[in-house]
Amino acid sequence: METNMSIDTLARPDTRTETIEMPAPTAWPIILAFGLTLVFAGMVTSLSVSLLGAILAVTGCIGWFREVLPHEKHETISAIETIRPVSTRRPRVAAVKWMTEELHRARLPLEVYPVRAGVKGGMAGSVAMALLAVTYGIISGRGMWYAINVLAAGFFPGRHPLSQIGEFQWDSLLIASVVHLLVSLSVGLLYGAMLPMLPRRPVLLGGLIAPILWSGLVHSFIGLIDPILNQQIDWLWFVFSQVGFGIVAGIVVSRQQRIPTPQHLPLAVRAGFEVLARFDQKNGGEPR
Amino acid sequence: MSTESIAWPSTAAGSRSFVETLHEWVTTVDHKRLGILYIIYALVFLVIGGIEATVIRIQLIRPHNDFVSPQVFNRLFTMHGTTMIFFVVMPVLFGFANYLIPLMIGARDMAFPRLNAFSFWMTAFGGLFLYFSVVGANGLYGAGNAPDVGWFAYAPLTSQTFSLGHSTDFWTLALLVSGFGSIGTAINIVATVLCMRCPGMTLAKMPLFAWLNLVMAGLVILAVSPLTAAQIMLLVDRYLGGHFFDTQAGGSAVIWMHFFWIFGHPEVYVLVLPAFAFASEIIPVFSRKPIFGYPVMVGATVAIGFISMSVWAHHMFTVGMGAAANTFFVISTMAIAVPTGIKIFNWLATMWGGKIEFKTPMLFCIAFLFQFLIAGLTGVMLGAAPFDWQLGNSYFVVAHFHYVIVGGIMFTLFGAFYYWFPKMSGKMYSETLGKLHFWLFVIGFHLTFDFMHIPGILGMPRRIYTYEPGRGWDTWNLIVTIGVFFQAAGILVFLGNLIWSYFRGELADNDPWDAWTLEWSAHSPPPAYNFALIPTVKSRRPLWDLKHPDDPDWKYE
Amino acid sequence: MSTTTIPPVTAELEWNLPSRGQVAMYSLITAEAAIFTIFVVAYLFYMGKSLSGPMPSEVLTPPILYAVCLLSSSLTIHFAGKNLRDGNVRRFGAWWLLTIALGAIFLYGTASEWHRLIYKDGLTITTNLFGTTYYSLVGLHGFHVVMGLLGLTTVMVFTIFGMVQREHAERIDVLSLYWHFVDAVWVVVFTVVYVIGR
Repeated sequence: METNMSIDTLARPDTRTETIEMPAPTAWPIILAFGLTLVFAGMVTSLSVSLLGAILAVTGCIGWFREVLPHEKHETISAIETIRPVSTRRPRVAAVKWMTEELHRARLPLEVYPVRAGVKGGMAGSVAMALLAVTYGIISGRGMWYAINVLAAGFFPGRHPLSQIGEFQWDSLLIASVVHLLVSLSVGLLYGAMLPMLPRRPVLLGGLIAPILWSGLVHSFIGLIDPILNQQIDWLWFVFSQVGFGIVAGIVVSRQQRIPTPQHLPLAVRAGFEVLARFDQKNGGEPR
Repeated sequence: MSTESIAWPSTAAGSRSFVETLHEWVTTVDHKRLGILYIIYALVFLVIGGIEATVIRIQLIRPHNDFVSPQVFNRLFTMHGTTMIFFVVMPVLFGFANYLIPLMIGARDMAFPRLNAFSFWMTAFGGLFLYFSVVGANGLYGAGNAPDVGWFAYAPLTSQTFSLGHSTDFWTLALLVSGFGSIGTAINIVATVLCMRCPGMTLAKMPLFAWLNLVMAGLVILAVSPLTAAQIMLLVDRYLGGHFFDTQAGGSAVIWMHFFWIFGHPEVYVLVLPAFAFASEIIPVFSRKPIFGYPVMVGATVAIGFISMSVWAHHMFTVGMGAAANTFFVISTMAIAVPTGIKIFNWLATMWGGKIEFKTPMLFCIAFLFQFLIAGLTGVMLGAAPFDWQLGNSYFVVAHFHYVIVGGIMFTLFGAFYYWFPKMSGKMYSETLGKLHFWLFVIGFHLTFDFMHIPGILGMPRRIYTYEPGRGWDTWNLIVTIGVFFQAAGILVFLGNLIWSYFRGELADNDPWDAWTLEWSAHSPPPAYNFALIPTVKSRRPLWDLKHPDDPDWKYE
Repeated sequence: MSTTTIPPVTAELEWNLPSRGQVAMYSLITAEAAIFTIFVVAYLFYMGKSLSGPMPSEVLTPPILYAVCLLSSSLTIHFAGKNLRDGNVRRFGAWWLLTIALGAIFLYGTASEWHRLIYKDGLTITTNLFGTTYYSLVGLHGFHVVMGLLGLTTVMVFTIFGMVQREHAERIDVLSLYWHFVDAVWVVVFTVVYVIGR
């Protein structure tokens, strides 16, 4: 341990000495503080208290000045070095061995999907879900525009909800498409980010369990956000189309090529300002 | 690295006379002794403020109670709030910062040792001065009366017309005096962290404790100064006949609210950032894992520092500031939940998969995580202006901020007491008593402050002296008061543990927790010069590097 | 780790930290700036809200001469510090004395303005909101000038006794920083009180 210390402590000659200079104790700060407090205390008692405080404060100031000017006063403390080694009860470091020995201290997850994988998955899922929803409209006999009009109904509070629910309306189609694509895109991105962290059965988790969970979530709050949708919704088919989205998006995302996680790279490299000269992809070694 | 010193006076304290020891402590400029002075001073005021709280709760235990008079009740809640914020939590946090920062950054003292002593004594005399009002507020000739205008002293209550005598002046002057001390300490902390780091300790390798206290000190500088300015204006009004807050002459009472809360809200973060600092040191050590997401923790801290300067008027939704101002302050208040949430997730991720040791400090930190989350959630609720219109100035608000200050700050503070007690005293505390303290306090805390939300929702206003029976408040108030006695018992066990362990506890090792920051390489208690050799560090966990030469951190940071 | 790592940082690493005096003075200036901000905000907020006269436009004239004195003292203190760093203590003393004189002239200007306002125009701190905010803001600045002058005078006394040497240049610079701040605040106060507020 002695050798360790010499590496880890700065071997400057002035710190090697047996004595150490520390600032000398002084009473002037407390006298100045007491004086100033008395100056203020005089405002609620009597002027004489303030006067006494002022005298003390001035004395404290002068004393303090003489303490530090022209040279700061020091006292010398003798230090007898008995360097006690820094030791630990747990010298062994538990290495992360469930993958490979070499991956000790790796940044997890080792690989992630690129952003475009999430975009692709979201888009593919959105197509699958739209097809299922339109199919439902046709099978149930409510018309193929039914699902689209219901989705957009919250944006048209003045329109009578059930009058033209099965007919084509261009503004409903526009709004429903924007809502559908935006939500699909964000869920797809979330899939891209989360699937590497759920390594076991990604399609089961992402395709089945996650859609059922968020269907439950939607079931609990949709009445507040979009009451019309809430009245009209057929929950079985809703879950069906969500699961359709989940499975398609999950499969599309998991078929994309993974890239090594860039979390440990310097910001300049990640932002594309600098290019790495050498970068060991396998275990993400030191980029420098 | 650690050394033993013959010259270090405390080892020979037994043979010295009381006067000599007293002289040593009064004239000291050593950051460790000043830190301990801060802490002991704060503990004394904690007991005083706690007694005040207990009396307030006894008065409210049942309807139509008259345990104290209404006048005394007003003084009690004013003194309780002022004492707890300015003379308990701030000094105790400054004490820990004083004691630990130089040790953690490998320095021998603070940047300005004499300024340090001066700041402590200003704070100390400020508190004594405030309590002098109990005996002498009408000058030396009259019977005393303590301040009774509430801890935020809204105008026009503070004008000469409504506040006769000197009670409000005592409040103003005491805060002015202690405010100078706070600013002095804050400047000292900034200079110490920036200018006294040991070789190799770049800003990115500082312990999070130093980072959080740096931001805290910056907030003190920016937040306490406006309070000082507002106090000067109040003095001008009261002594020289000015009209700043005098609505009769065109002045504005609302501007006092703005000035006070420009101080008041960053102040909450001044108090909570050191609490975060304790948690950020304790949780990794007892989870046996490095802190998760160090850079993000630092970034979130700085973000909290900035955002906290722009949320103050969420205390004033009920004033009627207009839609634009309300919207701005609602959004900024919601925004501050984001960096705070990041921190909570990072602490959880630090614990995740770790080998958690449930020692007393860790227990307090785990409780802190849960309680601070709930406090944050009620904070978001109150941050929505329409909700605040309904519950502003009710016991719901009281419950919310006590959840922050007791459930968040006090809990980590107790954790910090137990965690660093071996370093400060050289003795181990009693783990049994520590656990007893924890459970008493957890039970008491939840009895008191969980149930305090309910009378608030049922419409019980804060600062109410007593209430009519049959409004549905009676049972809740009874439970709340019962909880106080559990907390009081917890505090007594805590103080008993500190005193007993100091005299009778077994000797502590230099590094009882197998921790990783530099203070644990110094002797327990550290000698006056801290380190005989100024250390050099290469990573955020210098002691890990020394303990595990085959697998050091600096290879990976 | 199979890949190469950086060689360990050796003891010869360069270790530069900022000067603690400068850091502390900048922190103090930040705190003082916050105090002034509150007073300036109060002044602007209460502008034109006085219920009775006298109004600023009737009684205030911009003290341009005195403002020039105070602002030029920033230059003289700069030259003083430069001379001290060059080791020229006598010239340092001369410039330093000039700085004190300019600061004192400014204070005289404020005092004579207040005397005129109180005895001729009948404006006191209790008269109206304008009086309250004006005397508070200008008075707060004046207080800082007085504190600065006390500091400068202390250094002057030490200089006369030959106790200020070249190695104190760093401390003198810290004090100069405060004086620059006092001057800079006057620019803000002058703008608010004599330009916007009139």
